[in-house]
Amino acid sequence: MVPVLELDNLRVQLGRREILKGLSCRLGVSEGGGRAIGLLGPNGAGKSTLIQTMLGFHAPLSGTAKLFGFDCHRQPKEVRARLGYMPENDSFIANMTAVAFLRMMGELSGMPRGAALEKAHETLFHVGLGEARYRQLGTYSLGMKQMAKLAQAIIHGPELVILDEPTNGLDPAARLRMLTLIHEIKATHKMNVLLCSHLLHDVEETCDEVLILKDGRIVHHANLEEERRSNRRFVELELGGVTTGFAAALGTLGAAGVDEGEGRWRVVLPADIEIGALWRLAAERHLQVRKLTYRRDTLEEIFLKAVGHIRATPGDATKPPPLPVSPEEVTHGRL
Amino acid sequence: MAVYKRGYQRYEGPRTGTWDRLMVLPRFSWGQLMSQRLVIAVLIGAAFWPLLCGIFIYIANHIELLAGFGQGFQKFLAVDGSFFKTFMIVQSTFAIGLAAMTGPGLIAPDLTNNALPLYFSRPMSRWEYVLARMIVLAGMLSAITWIPGLLIFGMQVGMAGGDWFSKYWNLGLAVFLGFAMLVILASLVALASSAWVKWRVVAGALVLGFFFVLAGAAQMMNSIFRDSAGSLLNPLYLLGRLWAAMMGIDSPDESEPGLWACASALIGFCALMIVVLERKLRPVEVVK
Repeated sequence: MVPVLELDNLRVQLGRREILKGLSCRLGVSEGGGRAIGLLGPNGAGKSTLIQTMLGFHAPLSGTAKLFGFDCHRQPKEVRARLGYMPENDSFIANMTAVAFLRMMGELSGMPRGAALEKAHETLFHVGLGEARYRQLGTYSLGMKQMAKLAQAIIHGPELVILDEPTNGLDPAARLRMLTLIHEIKATHKMNVLLCSHLLHDVEETCDEVLILKDGRIVHHANLEEERRSNRRFVELELGGVTTGFAAALGTLGAAGVDEGEGRWRVVLPADIEIGALWRLAAERHLQVRKLTYRRDTLEEIFLKAVGHIRATPGDATKPPPLPVSPEEVTHGRL
Repeated sequence: MAVYKRGYQRYEGPRTGTWDRLMVLPRFSWGQLMSQRLVIAVLIGAAFWPLLCGIFIYIANHIELLAGFGQGFQKFLAVDGSFFKTFMIVQSTFAIGLAAMTGPGLIAPDLTNNALPLYFSRPMSRWEYVLARMIVLAGMLSAITWIPGLLIFGMQVGMAGGDWFSKYWNLGLAVFLGFAMLVILASLVALASSAWVKWRVVAGALVLGFFFVLAGAAQMMNSIFRDSAGSLLNPLYLLGRLWAAMMGIDSPDESEPGLWACASALIGFCALMIVVLERKLRPVEVVK
């Protein structure tokens, strides 16, 4: 099965700086399209460079980037014919009406004149700009420009839509509308989506898998669908009393826990252990359970772990880069 | 069904070919240019000189109308290389003015509005984009250069007959090739200026400066160094020499640059403009 995006030891250098340092992965492997891939990373991680390399704007130093099996550098036209791109910054032609702009973009993507005009109207209504479609783009508000950029990315029905920070500068209602549209693009119209965003919640709501970059390297690739399906239970505990040895006791259950200080613990229970076992363990050790909540591993946590901003939860499927560990911390049951 | 009731459906119909896609930008650009009154005015103004030349040819070929005039006047009415060179010089002034007026509006707005990533994320290369923009200018300039030039040549052939054609057939070729050189150079200069400065007014001034200020600078160099090598920096001189050579009326001084040097200098100018376009027309700016 041909993946949407396949990177093979991709290295990209801009000037003297190596931005992407040997990326390898296969993303969006599924039948029938409609996969959404999130691209995350701190500023300067290489997200935009990766997108621009996929668009054929940068030549790789070595390795390959393939979209739908086509080499982004050697077969740029085949690649570009299959994708729509919504850039992060303002990109439009100020003195054109939205209809004329979309029609031109549709024709540039290979649509016949009549079909491009028809789709321009359809798409503008779809993104909520129907009433403003004869206004010049230069007069649009920021939110309207974002919608117009989305419209030009989907007018020709591409197989992959690359969205770079689509919710930037949108008010809550417009942001919700944008996320709904992205979801529709994926679920209803069966287009694949590559979403690059700093807003983890947006990615979590819309994406099936996520790729996290840091310093030009892939630090994590998570299948959010599987994460959502997983039956691992994450429990947050707040205990009163002396908790020394509690980590070891959790180990006897097959569970793992992290002491976050002041009696707060994060625990991962194996699938076959009931929550009652935790109550019994606390009772045996004369610990007071002040708070017990179930909690799933959020994308924010996955992200922060991946970029090394918080410690890993033991037993977690995600494998963050190793953090410096002192013997003292190990003694306290921390990783 | 009304479009607002229909809803969005993913397009899965046929796709057009490379040539159709290439002509999209020129079609839209021509549409926009033709909606400008000033452009229309220049196009109309540029039609007057060919009209006068047509009248001139008509009179020159109806010798019975000139029976009362002297021999000198009849010689003045000869339709030969000098006549066509004069025609080309006048029309080239209009062409340069039109290029300065319309060229900067082709690329500068795309750069100002950061629209290049939108073009280059579609099946269109940077050189196809340049070619599309050149087609816009070439189309506009052709309408006032080689097309009326060939019409006048054809009119003369029709009126003067086969003898005149067998003697002056090279003039038709010279008109076409000479104007083609001008169109290519003017288009490249206009596009490069537009890509270089982004500001339309300044880009237009640069185009005029390239043709007219450089001519003055070349003349100044010649005067200072008491040489004529500075003429190689004068694009109008270069074009004029090549046109004259193709028409068989080139009679330079011994000190003037040779034809090959003129041709090389012209090619050098074109290459310089292509380098500017190559450096400036990038979908993303890389900070090194």
